[in-house]
Amino acid sequence: MNDLLVPSIATILEQRDETPDTRTYRLRLRDDGEAECFDFRPGQFLELSVFGAGEAPFCLASSPTRRGNVEVTVRRCGRVTDALGALAPGDEVGLRGPCGNGFDVSAAEGQDMLFVAGGIGLPPLRGLIWNVLDRRESFGRVTILYGARTPSDLVYKQELRDWGAREDVELRITVDRGEPGWTGNVGMVPILFDLVDLRPETTIAYVCGPPIMINFVVQDLLKRGFAVDRVISTLERMMQCGVGKCNHCCVGSKYLCRDGPVFSFREIRELWE
Amino acid sequence: MGADDCRTIERGDLDAWVSRLLAKADVIAPVRGHGGDEVFASVVSPEQVLWSFRNPLLPPKHLLLPQTDTLTQIRRVNGHYQIESPPPPQPRILLNVRSCDAVGLAFLRQMHAQDLPDASVLRRYDALTVISLACGQPCPLGFCVCCDAGPFLKADFDLQLTDLGDRLHAEPGTARGKELLDLAPDLFRPAHQADGEARAALERQALASFGKETCHFAAAMRRISTRRVAPELWAKLSPWCLECGGCNFACPTCYCFGVSDRSDGIGCTTRCRTWDSCQYAEFTLEASGHNPRAQPAERMKRRFYHKVSAQYFQRDGRVGCVGCGRCVQVCMGTTDMPAVVGAIRRGAWSPGRPA
Repeated sequence: MNDLLVPSIATILEQRDETPDTRTYRLRLRDDGEAECFDFRPGQFLELSVFGAGEAPFCLASSPTRRGNVEVTVRRCGRVTDALGALAPGDEVGLRGPCGNGFDVSAAEGQDMLFVAGGIGLPPLRGLIWNVLDRRESFGRVTILYGARTPSDLVYKQELRDWGAREDVELRITVDRGEPGWTGNVGMVPILFDLVDLRPETTIAYVCGPPIMINFVVQDLLKRGFAVDRVISTLERMMQCGVGKCNHCCVGSKYLCRDGPVFSFREIRELWE
Repeated sequence: MGADDCRTIERGDLDAWVSRLLAKADVIAPVRGHGGDEVFASVVSPEQVLWSFRNPLLPPKHLLLPQTDTLTQIRRVNGHYQIESPPPPQPRILLNVRSCDAVGLAFLRQMHAQDLPDASVLRRYDALTVISLACGQPCPLGFCVCCDAGPFLKADFDLQLTDLGDRLHAEPGTARGKELLDLAPDLFRPAHQADGEARAALERQALASFGKETCHFAAAMRRISTRRVAPELWAKLSPWCLECGGCNFACPTCYCFGVSDRSDGIGCTTRCRTWDSCQYAEFTLEASGHNPRAQPAERMKRRFYHKVSAQYFQRDGRVGCVGCGRCVQVCMGTTDMPAVVGAIRRGAWSPGRPA
């Protein structure tokens, strides 16, 4: 039995700037035994510590189908993320997890997959997308719809190009405000629905992004005929312990860090207190 | 443990017994603090132990969840971080804890044992021997009888003492409690039938002294669990809450906590678990600035949902209250457990919302 709140040490192997304020870190647990055993589901999250600054939860942005690849994508917005931004490859951080339920990938096999992401909401879906693409034959059509505030706020630009180049993936991107040189779509994410062939009966929609975007997207999907248990989203609350003990992230008797953060819209509707 | 295992000890022998307990482990008991209040503290000499006292304002939950709990220390050595675990807890004996607080400790243990077990809390409970002192004379603000947490215990103790006047009745609840009696065969004598009857009479008398007016958990639970508490009730009650967190910190069952890292500035970081209060606005404040429970009414509603709803009752096996009456004592705004439960019961039924 472990002390739940005590982290292991991980080393930053590599980091890559995604946008002016967002960076992806590749991590590896320092202890080889721990690193080999580390397994997770897409949609789960890590509690990451920058010693001296504190600890915060970040979703795993990588896929368990690519072993040894533990990645998080972090936007600077507070004490811990600022301190993380000051670190460099080779530096050590604390790591607890994986925490939370994650996406049930096997339950989606054979289905068409629709991914709808807004801004920094793409990282939690990225692990799932990789997972699906690495086992492409197990799934039906794959559609990725992604929106950000401006073209420079788009994360994973190289992967967006790669996914866009694949014939077995339909990728559509939009931005709220264009920039000089931007020739793509301009508008909120739901405008992309009219550009693709949605088949609600055979599709599972995964929606991740800011709460207001999730709200609009989910309402739109329901109007277009998606059943409530075919719309899956991830919820955010202020999480601290990540193991269902501290009570910061409760909604009703659900602990978002433990029972979530992934819920179907049917489950989300039933969250109340 | 049956009636054969029960013993009695003469009042005059108590100090000798406490001396033996002190030789065995750290003994924590209600003592007279510096300011004259009763407090739970480590005992140095047997005469400090109070055998008749008002229940201390702060429960002994700090024995499992210290207000600031060092979880680990992280040091930087030769450019690498090292995690140092705190030493394992030493055996401790909690003497003269009231029934409600013994149940509170068992509740906290269970909270940290279910789902993902938290070893640090379980180790502390395992190292703790609980010697309770049953309440022959219930305290004026207590309502333990409504929460299945007293005045006498059926479980959750190692040894239960009952004050019979010139002697105390001692009833082991676990093998560990029995060992304590076996350690002092010269001080404890087998209990006679009359001792058992005297103890039973005291329990009946204590139960009767609560009267008919009790805290109406069942009615409140029905309304809270079926969304039938009118939102206006929380809007009306919440301005009375001063958001001091006193009810949380004085509660034997409240265990919300925060995790924070404290740095000494020269390479050592201490990870602490600290008490937190669900009544504080910052409790749910997110880094983005969004706060899902920005209003005091939402926070108060949350507190009572956690403590009284059937959903949590099902999960935890009991209401999140042991009826100690401490919130009644500390709350300056009368938004304590019996007051709010009473208001929910008397309040107009809300038609409820479809699930």
